Amino acid sequence: MDQELGELSENDFMLPPIKYEYLDHTADVQLHAWGDSLIEAFEQCGMAMFGYMTELAYVEIKQVHTIEANADDMMGLLYHFLDELLFLFSAEPFLICRKLKITEFNAEEFRIVCKCYGEEFEIGKHPQGSEVKAITYSAMQIIDEPKDNKFEVFVIIDI
Amino acid sequence: MNVEGVFYVNSTLEKLMLDELRNSCRPGMTGGFLPGVKQIANVAALPGIVGRSVGLPDVHSGYGFAIGNMAAFDISNSDSIVSPGGVGFDINCGVRLLRTNLHEKDVVPIKEQLAQSLFDHIPVGVGSKGIIPMNARDMEEALEMGMDWSLREGYVWAEDKEHCEEYGRMLNADPSKVSLRAKKRGLPQLGTLGAGNHYAEIQVVDEIYDKFAAGKMGLERLGQVCVMIHSGSRGFGHQVATDALVQMEKAMKRDQIEVNDRQLACARIHSKEGQDYLKAMAAAANFAWVNRSSMTFLTRQAFAKQFKMAPDDLDMHVIYDVSHNIAKVEEHVVDGSLKTLLVHRKGSTRAFPPHHPLIPVDYQLTGQPVLIGGSMGTCSYVLTGTHQGMTETFGSTCHGAGRALSRAKSRRNIDYKDVLGKLEEMGISIRVASPKLVMEEAPESYKNVTDVVNTCHAAGISKKTVKLRPIAVIKG
Repeated sequence: MDQELGELSENDFMLPPIKYEYLDHTADVQLHAWGDSLIEAFEQCGMAMFGYMTELAYVEIKQVHTIEANADDMMGLLYHFLDELLFLFSAEPFLICRKLKITEFNAEEFRIVCKCYGEEFEIGKHPQGSEVKAITYSAMQIIDEPKDNKFEVFVIIDI
Repeated sequence: MNVEGVFYVNSTLEKLMLDELRNSCRPGMTGGFLPGVKQIANVAALPGIVGRSVGLPDVHSGYGFAIGNMAAFDISNSDSIVSPGGVGFDINCGVRLLRTNLHEKDVVPIKEQLAQSLFDHIPVGVGSKGIIPMNARDMEEALEMGMDWSLREGYVWAEDKEHCEEYGRMLNADPSKVSLRAKKRGLPQLGTLGAGNHYAEIQVVDEIYDKFAAGKMGLERLGQVCVMIHSGSRGFGHQVATDALVQMEKAMKRDQIEVNDRQLACARIHSKEGQDYLKAMAAAANFAWVNRSSMTFLTRQAFAKQFKMAPDDLDMHVIYDVSHNIAKVEEHVVDGSLKTLLVHRKGSTRAFPPHHPLIPVDYQLTGQPVLIGGSMGTCSYVLTGTHQGMTETFGSTCHGAGRALSRAKSRRNIDYKDVLGKLEEMGISIRVASPKLVMEEAPESYKNVTDVVNTCHAAGISKKTVKLRPIAVIKG
C-alpha cells in the first residue's frame, strides 16, 4: 500500500454521486445541494464549494483530514462547517477535497465531525477555478422534511 | 430612515439600477441580496449616520451595504455604528498605478514576453502562494507597520509611501485583535494577486483631459506606458471580516441595535467589538498595502529584466494607491460645523480636493488622484478629487465598472472564443489562470466604466484627468 494513503481503506475511494448545482446570483454564487438525508445534503454542499475552486475530476484521494464544527443553531452549523472546509483549503494542509464523509452529526448540540478526503492543491495539476472569499448567511435555507424525503440546502458564497 | 438615500446615475445606469430593483420585486424571487436601491435606504436607517447614504454610479447589490455605497457616522454620537458589511470582505481592496518612461512602441514588439514575464513573476489565481519569504513573526510586523515594513525589507522605495493613502500604514492597527485563523490564511497569500476581478494590467495613456494634473502625476504624453495593480488583503481580510460579523451578531443583541437587514451586522463604534474590528481592519489594510507593495516589487523586477534597465531608470514610480473598501476616521463639515466621522467606503474611492491636508505635497494643487480600474479589456481612468465632492459625498467617488450580469449568466451567454477574439482584435495580450474567468470578467458582464466615470465628472464629485487603455492583462 502506498505510504501516503496511510489510513485510507478501499471504501474511501468510492466516489459519491453529484447532488449539487450552482445557481445564478449577481457577483456571487449560490450553492444548492440535496441528498437522501440532511447529512448527505451538507456533504454535497461542501463538495459543491470545492467544485467551484477547481475541477474535481483532477483531484486524487491521497490524504484524509478530520474537521470539527460547532454552532448554536442549524444555520450556524452549516456556516461553520463550510468555513472549516474553506480554512482547510486556505492554510495548511491546503487540502482540496474530492469526498466528504460526515461521521458525527449532532442536531441537538449542533456539532459536526467530518472526514475530508483529497490532496494538497497543486497549480499545474489542479485547474484554477474561482476563489471563495467567505461563506455568508445571505438567503441561507435548510430544508429538512423527512416525511417528504426532502433534504436541501442553499448557501451563497462570496467570491 | 435617519437621513436621505441618494444615488448618482445617467440614463443608462439608471435603467440598470431600476431593473435590478424591478427583478427583485417579481413574485417568486426569494433569496439573494436585496437590490442596491433598498440597500442604500437600509444604510440610511442605521444609527448615527449623517449627511446622506450615497450610491455611486457603479453601485450594485452586495452583502449588507451595496457595492458602491458610502456612509458616514458621527463618532461623537454614542449610538453610531461601524459595520464590516460597509467595508466589504476584501478589506482595503484597492488600485495602484505605476508609471514608466516607456512608450507604447517600446513595448509592443515584446508585449507577449512582457505579459508572460509579469504572469510568471506575480502569483495569481486560487491556491497560489506568495514568493516573498515570510514567517509568522514577519507577518506580525507587517500587519503593524504596513508599507514601512515593505520599505524596511527593501521591497519598495521611500517615495512610494508618499503616494499612498495613509502613507501605506494605518497607525491604529493591532495584530493582537486578529484571529490566528486569519493570520494562517493570510501568511501563504501575501504577495499574491488573487482571483475574480483582481488584475495587473499594462496600460498606455490614451487621452489626457487635464494636462496640468496629468503632468503633476508624471503622465505627459499619449502612449506612455503604465502598470495598474488591483488587489486587496486576500484571505487575511476575508477572515477578519468573517470573524467580525460573528462577533457583531452577538453585540447587536446585547446592545439592542435594530437594523432593517440582518446582513447589516454592526456594533457601536465605542463598544469593544467596534474598536476591535477597527483595529483588526487596520491590520488588514496594512496587509493589503504590503501585498500591493510586494507586487510592485515583482512588477519592477519583471520590467527590469525585460528591458535590461534598472526600475529607477525606467522611472517606475507609484503615481498613487487608493483604497476602495475601507472605513476611515476623517474630519468633515456637517451642517456648517466640523465633525469627526467614521466614513465607510465600500466600492467607493476617497477623492479629496486640492489643498486638503491629507493628500501628498505633489498633489496639493491638483487634488488627490483617484484610480478607477475598468473591466477586462476596457479603459481605466485617473480622476482627481473636487471641492464639490467634499461637500456632497464626503470626498468620495466611484471605484470601477460594477457588475451588471451575474457570473453564471456571463458563463451561459458569453462565448470564451468571442471574448479572446475581441481582446486580440483590440491588441490586448491576456494571461489568465482560470479559463471561466474569461467569460465572467468579459466587458459585457460589467457596467460601462466610461458611463460611470462620466457620471461622476458631470456630477462634479470628481474630475477626469487621464484615460488609460490596456495592452496586456494578467488575471487570476
